Amino acid sequence: MSDQLRNRVMLAVALLLAAIYLFPLYWMYITALKTGSSMFATPPKFLPSEPQWGIYAFVWESRNMGRYLWNSLVIALGAVSLIAVLGVGCAYVLARYRNAWVDIGLFLILMLQVLPASLMVTPIFVGFSQFGLLDTPRFAVILAIAAKSMPFFVVLVRATFMSVPMELEEAALVDGNSRIGAFFNIVLPLARNGILVSAILIFMQAFGEFVYSKSMIQAVELQPASVGLNSFMGPNTNEWNNIMAYATIYVTPVLAAFVLLQRRIVSGLTSGALK
Amino acid sequence: MKRILASVTDGKGFDIGLVLLPLAFLFIMSGLPLVYNVVMSFQEVDMFSLGSFVRPFVGFKNYVDLFSQPETRPILLNTALFVSSSIAGQFLIGFGLALFFWMNFPGASWLRGLFLVSWVMPGLVVGAIWNWILSGDFGVLNFLLRETGVIEGNIFWRSDPNYSLWAVIIANIWLGTSFNMILLSVGLSGIPKDLYEAAELDGANALQRFFTITLPMMRSTIGAIIALGLIFTLQQFDLFAGITSGGPNNSSNVTQYWAWDLSFRQYDFAKGATISVIMIVFVMLASVVYVRSTRHEVRG
Repeated sequence: MSDQLRNRVMLAVALLLAAIYLFPLYWMYITALKTGSSMFATPPKFLPSEPQWGIYAFVWESRNMGRYLWNSLVIALGAVSLIAVLGVGCAYVLARYRNAWVDIGLFLILMLQVLPASLMVTPIFVGFSQFGLLDTPRFAVILAIAAKSMPFFVVLVRATFMSVPMELEEAALVDGNSRIGAFFNIVLPLARNGILVSAILIFMQAFGEFVYSKSMIQAVELQPASVGLNSFMGPNTNEWNNIMAYATIYVTPVLAAFVLLQRRIVSGLTSGALK
Repeated sequence: MKRILASVTDGKGFDIGLVLLPLAFLFIMSGLPLVYNVVMSFQEVDMFSLGSFVRPFVGFKNYVDLFSQPETRPILLNTALFVSSSIAGQFLIGFGLALFFWMNFPGASWLRGLFLVSWVMPGLVVGAIWNWILSGDFGVLNFLLRETGVIEGNIFWRSDPNYSLWAVIIANIWLGTSFNMILLSVGLSGIPKDLYEAAELDGANALQRFFTITLPMMRSTIGAIIALGLIFTLQQFDLFAGITSGGPNNSSNVTQYWAWDLSFRQYDFAKGATISVIMIVFVMLASVVYVRSTRHEVRG
């Protein structure tokens, strides 16, 4: 009985803490539904009296969000595919062997993981412009994001491959599979979930990427949603309900995917970052 | 030829191919820019010489110029303050939350995971939300602080030079707390439970158990998390772009934003590269600490 009571109290406190922590998110959703005047009311209303559901369609149309989100999607998918194609094999080899070369490779990869994008963008921009890559700016951004995020992906996926027993692969080799055959038929299917979760994490990061896109994509038609949000927020803006509606449309799919896959994402993340 | 082909499909060549291709990609896309960055920091780069490969070398002129600029010192100090306050805030709040969720109760792990939404949201959206929360006249934070009697008048978080950096710090603490908490939770769950049972039998109270068991057992985790915090706060760019843009008058500017601002706002690519070089050296030192403190786990 006292155990049950304790659990209930703890749960109540935990819910309260979560509510406080997630308040900014709530405030985004609520502000989007307010009218222009109730948004600036003092004291502020914590529940909207007359929710303006039409605002989403209005912002979607007026800010051309379809185009922005499409560009975000193109960039994120491009980066994830490139990272997955190159990174999976790298992670596999780094998980299978244990020698000085692997240690050096891992060390280099961990070092590349920490380079801040806002510092790397200067040489990347100048170099890309000299090689004409800025003529295809979305592709240039994809390359830059891939270089930035691949190390993280390799670290995460490597942890997955480590949990695939080597004996299974050896058994496949004994049965007459070639290395390629064993890799594609045995190892990859077993590591599929871990690879998928890591790819989703990378996708979420690339979907919100800002520095590279802002610096390299000049044409408005090719800019992703993060740059669109940035140009929406002028220095003296007072359209906060519209901005919050924009933000809502932008993050809700990401949040929904996260809540659905939460358990897998959290465990995948922690296994890569610390273990 | 046939032997090479056979090796690629069925031998060592397979492994080497798998690992060399991505490493070559990383070398071209990250390694070369790193080198190029250093080269540019010793060159004169302007809008006209941007496209040409041959530029005049000027020695350490960029470095000397940089440190003789009046804004350099305040911006470096801002960076130090931003990094230390962010890490302290994220770590302390994250540790508190991790300890709380460590006491097992139904729903604990699910609720704890929910905190991580701050981490998967696009940084610019987080910036936009906090920009609005911290707004001077109509911001909800000012309202809450007024109602609870913490402040008398409104604080103009974004436009008051005394507070603008703190506006970004608050947002950054919110952003990073969840990540700290999750990693600390992992560390906490790795401590053997029987240590606590033994200590309890010996009559140690909760505070003693925390200082004699929890903290010492968490040492390598804490080291890794502080180093990671340093790395992540030095990567933070979106919040500056979303909240203050480094202003007013550089009062909330930090090096990682300044480097970008110099290159892409003032088109002084050489100066931007110079700051980048200095900061990248710094970040790499931090990451050596991180790699060292997780090394046994990386190899494990």
